[in-house]
Amino acid sequence: MPAAACPIGRACLFTFGCTLLFTLTGCDGPQSTLSPAGTGAARILTLFWWMAGFAFVIWLIVFGIAVYASRPKRSSHSANASRWLIIGGGAIFPTVVLTLLLVFGFRLMADLRTTEGADLRIAVTGERWWWRVRYLGQKDQSTELANEIRLPLGKRIEFILDSPDVIHSFWIPSLGGKVDMIPGRINKLVLEPTRVGVFRGVCAEYCGTSHALMNFKVVVMQAEDFEDWLATQAEPAAAPRSALARQGKKGFFANGCSACHTIRGTSADGEIGPDLTHVGSRLSLGADILPTTPEAFRRWIAHTEEIKPGVKMPSFGMLPDEQLQAMAAYLSGLQ
Amino acid sequence: MASRLRHIDARLKALALWKRGIAWLLSFALLFGVGGFIFAWIGFAPVSASAGHWPVTDWFLHWAMRNAVELRSLGTEAPPSLDDPALVLKGAGHYATGCAPCHGAPGQERPMIPGQMTPHPPYLPPRIPRWEAQELFWIVRHGIKFTGMPAWPTQQRKDEVWAMVAFLQRLPDMDEATYRELAFGPRAESAQPPPFARLGGTPGESLEKIVANCARCHGSEGAGRGSGAFPILADQSEAYLYASLRAYARGERHSGVMEPIASALAPQAMLDLAGYYADQPEAEAEIASGKPSSHEFAASELSPPELSPSEPSLSELSPSELSGKANAIDRGRSIAEDGIPGEGIPACVDCHGPGDQLRNVYYPELSGQYGDYLYLQLSLFKSGKRGGTPYAHIMHSVAKRLTEEQMRDLAAFYASL
Repeated sequence: MPAAACPIGRACLFTFGCTLLFTLTGCDGPQSTLSPAGTGAARILTLFWWMAGFAFVIWLIVFGIAVYASRPKRSSHSANASRWLIIGGGAIFPTVVLTLLLVFGFRLMADLRTTEGADLRIAVTGERWWWRVRYLGQKDQSTELANEIRLPLGKRIEFILDSPDVIHSFWIPSLGGKVDMIPGRINKLVLEPTRVGVFRGVCAEYCGTSHALMNFKVVVMQAEDFEDWLATQAEPAAAPRSALARQGKKGFFANGCSACHTIRGTSADGEIGPDLTHVGSRLSLGADILPTTPEAFRRWIAHTEEIKPGVKMPSFGMLPDEQLQAMAAYLSGLQ
Repeated sequence: MASRLRHIDARLKALALWKRGIAWLLSFALLFGVGGFIFAWIGFAPVSASAGHWPVTDWFLHWAMRNAVELRSLGTEAPPSLDDPALVLKGAGHYATGCAPCHGAPGQERPMIPGQMTPHPPYLPPRIPRWEAQELFWIVRHGIKFTGMPAWPTQQRKDEVWAMVAFLQRLPDMDEATYRELAFGPRAESAQPPPFARLGGTPGESLEKIVANCARCHGSEGAGRGSGAFPILADQSEAYLYASLRAYARGERHSGVMEPIASALAPQAMLDLAGYYADQPEAEAEIASGKPSSHEFAASELSPPELSPSEPSLSELSPSELSGKANAIDRGRSIAEDGIPGEGIPACVDCHGPGDQLRNVYYPELSGQYGDYLYLQLSLFKSGKRGGTPYAHIMHSVAKRLTEEQMRDLAAFYASL
């Protein structure tokens, strides 16, 4: 009855409900800090809740004082009480609260920053606008791929981050905090995933035209699965099986793709663009903007500059469609 | 008081006089304007070329033109290499095609029909010394309105216009034999430039006749003329040559020299020509030594010594120049084979050879090409003004990252193959 009698109130309630619903849907998903899948993200979330709690309490106090100050019948306070209110509420209270938060934050950060006891080292280079990923093995051996990072569950993984061009920022919100990638400097970050799943990493520092198209997939796997996967990635590319894919391989070399891309096991050894040895096995193409279907490959090769403005790779839309399809078949078949 | 009034009165009268003067002037201007309009409307305007100009009109128009050219060419600086024989040679070939039909040339003064124009195109050799290089550049590039002097067919190629200026500056003291050798090549005695409308041949015309025109600059075997003025065509694929001709014909690749020629070619003639030059045996052996072949460049005997090809033979280089050249070739080889990944420069060999890998037929072969020509093309790509086949944009993204020195080294490397 009261709700029906007050249409404005009902509208307010509806709006509030919708807003809350939309907001809450953002709390989960592949790149949410509110559903952590790593120790770093969990700690940061703890800090966030403490800060949010404190902020709410302070908000209540400030609001309470404001209500108290605007009451209709006011009497004057003693000078002593006023002085204590100002000194206590204006200087002592914030100093204590902020010091507590600072100490709390520093203690958290020390844990997050330490790179000791890492089980695995991965070098990630942010380039405009994609991610070069190298799994560092024993004795200078490394396995390179791009725009996809797979991690073993429960292990400490050290990331070695840098950039050859401009400042980027490496952020996997579900796993931990973000760290800038600065040209001429190496930054480090340790993540420890606690939950299996597929997450999303982003560039969190504006880096040019296609900054928003510079993402990557993060897959947390059981340790055994991860070892299998990494072993596969370290192998050279398999020969194309279908006639179409063989045709596509010819096209790949005839058009000079090998000048920029490496496919291990072939003569393609370019280092400018992403390593394509197992590109067909990845979950996304073009830094998490397209799927890895043959059609997506065809589209990417033919319309590169439209899909990702400012990209170094020229579009090859002038190639005959049969050749594009053949090349797409070859690349998507590189499992 | 009274004197003061008189003073004001005098000033008012003076003002009235001024006003009256301006009113008269305006009336006259209006009268002339309306009168001129009616004059033109009725059809009294003297437009006949046969009548010529009054001497005073002639003087006034020339005076206005000279002033305009002088003003507009201010701030244009001539490149230091204007006496480069390769530039002169490049200008000569097009002079015979595009300029001589109206302006004449050594040994063929005052063509009859253009002489009936008003103003008539002057015979150039005695006129050239009156102009500065940058003024000639402006005239050749932009043309002159109302005189029949056309602009250069593309505004994208300042380098070609400078080549024409380089040739024009040599024109005053050029004898007929030198001119014919430069413009028509070794078979100068029999060669004739085709009339404008038949630059590319007429339907059904034999391939030899069309080739004869191409051969003036590219040689009948596609080997060019011993310097970077004209590219070697012999090593290229038929597909690439045809696509390039088409790009010129459609204005997708810019050249004041090649666009008019290609746009006059019938599609079949383009195919035939592309096939003809693609079938020629490789020409690189002669060029690799840097020596002009006597067959292709007899001009060195006919013309003044400074008209010898720009590329000196290896034996003429001093030891330090020789080692400098060898270093440039080595640096070029390194870039061509491995690229510079850190600077986003890919290896050239994956698309342009050398190597026996299967390559797209639309990618030109660079081995043995003239270094100066390669350097010019890279510069054009770098400036973003080099059009071409539908594949040309690939080179824009590469060339813009190359430095001047890297472009020279790459050109030296490919020329050395």
